[in-house]
Amino acid sequence: MRYTNFFFGVLTIFLALMTSASAAPMGFKNSWMVMGDTSKNFQELAFNYATTANDAFGLSVSGMESHHSMKQQNVEAVYTRKVARWNMPNAQANIWFIGGIGSTTGNTFEGSRLTTSPGVQLDYETTRVYVMGSTRVYTGEGPTSSINTLRLGGSFYEVHYDQPQPWFIVEARRMNFVSRQYEITPMLRVIHNRYFVEFGANMSGQPRFNFMYNY
Amino acid sequence: MKLIKLSIAIICLSLSQVSLASMKITVNGMVCSFCAQGIEKSIMKMEDTKAIFVDLKNKVVVIEPKEGKTLNEKLISQEIKDSGYDVVKVETISQTVAQFKAESRDKK
Repeated sequence: MRYTNFFFGVLTIFLALMTSASAAPMGFKNSWMVMGDTSKNFQELAFNYATTANDAFGLSVSGMESHHSMKQQNVEAVYTRKVARWNMPNAQANIWFIGGIGSTTGNTFEGSRLTTSPGVQLDYETTRVYVMGSTRVYTGEGPTSSINTLRLGGSFYEVHYDQPQPWFIVEARRMNFVSRQYEITPMLRVIHNRYFVEFGANMSGQPRFNFMYNY
Repeated sequence: MKLIKLSIAIICLSLSQVSLASMKITVNGMVCSFCAQGIEKSIMKMEDTKAIFVDLKNKVVVIEPKEGKTLNEKLISQEIKDSGYDVVKVETISQTVAQFKAESRDKK
């Protein structure tokens, strides 16, 4: 029993750390990517497998909760496509398509319904600057919601490949299921080889913790 | 006869130097270790690879072959492409990965 509690404790912490911080929503060919997003009103746990340098297939489980306690849960199969990449001498820019299809349940309607979640992400990154914008629409038969995100960040200094690199990131995110307001969250990001960790808190003091692992 | 022996010796010596030379590849788009680790993983899987160094600051990848082995430029370029990057230039250098790494860090 003690070991069972320990196992679930570790599992809970691990899942809580997962978040779709989105440097890139997929890894390299034949790699697995685990992502998640944990905040008060939105949680997502997702993983995918890159079958080519441009395509990845995976699963996503997400939950949203409004300030009025409206709840929605989604379970989806997700396809990620690198639509375009520009590799420059000192920078990289990408356009990504992310599309999910699955079922949604909630406390404002009976049973489960079909949901789709098409989205687009654009990003630009150098070793010192990071800019990202994304939008994703969750179109259930009943409830429809969208998540719009803008991120801007800078690294404190350049590092060698095998050294951890700290970044300061500011995110503006609007989840219209939760609120019409943009939520501003400053975060500290640390990248080190296979690991990508972000933590911070929004202007209301609600914590945010992100983690990505690529293998 | 002496001339033939000398020529063979020179050819053997130069061949051994070629097989021990490292490959230095200039890569566009390599901006973070989280993304670039695909390059390291895929090239280290190749049986002729002894060591690899990803130089993020100078945007180059240096690969050292195992003794007596020769690196396959075409396969390596394809692996880098599959990792999501563009190969700009491929050069042969005489340093080992350890030597190049030390020199690269001494410059900073």
